[in-house]
Amino acid sequence: MVEDIATLVTSLGFPSTEAFLGLVILVLLIIGAVVVIVTIRPVQNIFPYTYPNARVRGRAGKIFTEKQFSEIIEAGNIDEVKNYLRGFPDYAKYIDQYSLEKALDTQLAENYDLIARITPANSRDAFKFLLKKWDIQNLKSIVIAKKVGLNAEETLELVVPFGELTDKLDALVDANDINEVLSALEGTEYTSIIEDAIPIYEETGMLLPLEASLDKYLLENLLRTVTTPEDDNTALLKSYVGSMVDATNLKIILRAKVDGLKFEDIDPYMISDGYQIREWKLKDLMEAEDVAGVVSGLEGTEYAPVLVEAMTQYTETGSIGAFEIALDNHVSETAKRISLKNQFGIGPMIGFLSKKEKEIKNLKIIVRGKREEGFTPAMIKEMLV
Amino acid sequence: MVEVALGTALAAIGAGVAIGFAGLGSGIGQGIAAAGSVGAVAEDEEMFARGIIFTALPETQAIYGFLIAILLMVFTVMAGKALSPALGLVAIGAGAAIGFAGLGSGMGQGIAASSSVGSVVEDPDMFARGIIFTALPETQAIYGFLIAILLMVFAGIMGG
Repeated sequence: MVEDIATLVTSLGFPSTEAFLGLVILVLLIIGAVVVIVTIRPVQNIFPYTYPNARVRGRAGKIFTEKQFSEIIEAGNIDEVKNYLRGFPDYAKYIDQYSLEKALDTQLAENYDLIARITPANSRDAFKFLLKKWDIQNLKSIVIAKKVGLNAEETLELVVPFGELTDKLDALVDANDINEVLSALEGTEYTSIIEDAIPIYEETGMLLPLEASLDKYLLENLLRTVTTPEDDNTALLKSYVGSMVDATNLKIILRAKVDGLKFEDIDPYMISDGYQIREWKLKDLMEAEDVAGVVSGLEGTEYAPVLVEAMTQYTETGSIGAFEIALDNHVSETAKRISLKNQFGIGPMIGFLSKKEKEIKNLKIIVRGKREEGFTPAMIKEMLV
Repeated sequence: MVEVALGTALAAIGAGVAIGFAGLGSGIGQGIAAAGSVGAVAEDEEMFARGIIFTALPETQAIYGFLIAILLMVFTVMAGKALSPALGLVAIGAGAAIGFAGLGSGMGQGIAASSSVGSVVEDPDMFARGIIFTALPETQAIYGFLIAILLMVFAGIMGG
């Protein structure tokens, strides 16, 4: 046997068995290295998401179930709702500190903040930018508060202590008028947006231009942070942000059509380049005669079936809300699809944020229903998204 | 310097491959599981014990690799046995069997463990099912371990 091997080795041109074994070991080493590299590569994409995803799934498990929502809806009044929420540590810490609506928004903002802190580096920019959502919400609240003459204490009740403007919040809340708000904002990216929108507000009395300008700034720049996806995770984040952008553009167009506004009226508020609905398509839609024209103009896109269904409801009720709910549901469905498709990457984070948004939205609906007279639990249940 | 026969030196490489690759897979797997468990414990302190269990599961591959490496060393290098080059190659085969099987199995188990930890922190009732799913990638390491033992026994390295 040994002689056979020696003969074979010599016939292959090796001077000795040792030289042959040396080559065998070298080949094994190369194979080993290739196996290690090929096997480890997919893990490199999974590893950064394991910690954030476990945290996010821990929080997702605490999102209220349908049964819990039914229990909250059955609450006799606002105080009972508060008592119910006090039973959950995530809400309890804010319930006694702030008004109920502010406590709910703060809890939601805290989750956005957590994700921006723990998400892996390649998606951190986008989630950090998403935190500006709270700056924008705060600015809208502050501008409205100053316009209707609320004092600092009342204004403070409207702002959420998250976002990038937290160090300026005191000055913004204490401002006596819009000019003081503008000077408090000096050096931030919001100064020019508010400066441009205020004259329109003063002229028309409509806050929509200001809100639309701020929303446009947020979404346009958010889309920019994910323009060039580095990997599957950032590509999925882009599709989620993209669906938000498209939904926002479509809401603006549909609302404009209901209000009879023209192309030039709404053009400044459109997010210039949508995701699936590109600039040229947006222009076509903006030039449509009416709501039905917008819906038929979307044929061939994934928004057509969603809006066709809502069109029936719109025809019956005349309420634009049907389209808004349909578009919001589409964004939630996109998030759900991503979370199922990409369980080891960015999926759970996107899915969680979307579910949390929905939870807070529903809690606010319940709070409003409890606060206003004449809403039965059945009616509130019907209003939930 | 002690003279070591070429076959015995090859068996030593086999021992290195066994624990090296199995330990690599186990380490990566355990790292993934531990990262998930830390996240879970950060959200729910009661997850500590369950997190430890899931994190410990990908340890087994390293144990299999360690056992094969010890056996190879005990029956060759430490026994002062001069192995033929052919038997040395069999020893490398045994080491590679558990080494590569442990690499894949350990990483797979780590990913499953991390995902299970996420499921359990989301829904505590998922614990038993999570353990079952996490245990499944163990089988590949067991195959590798069995083949390594069989190679050593039938080639005469062990008990020969």
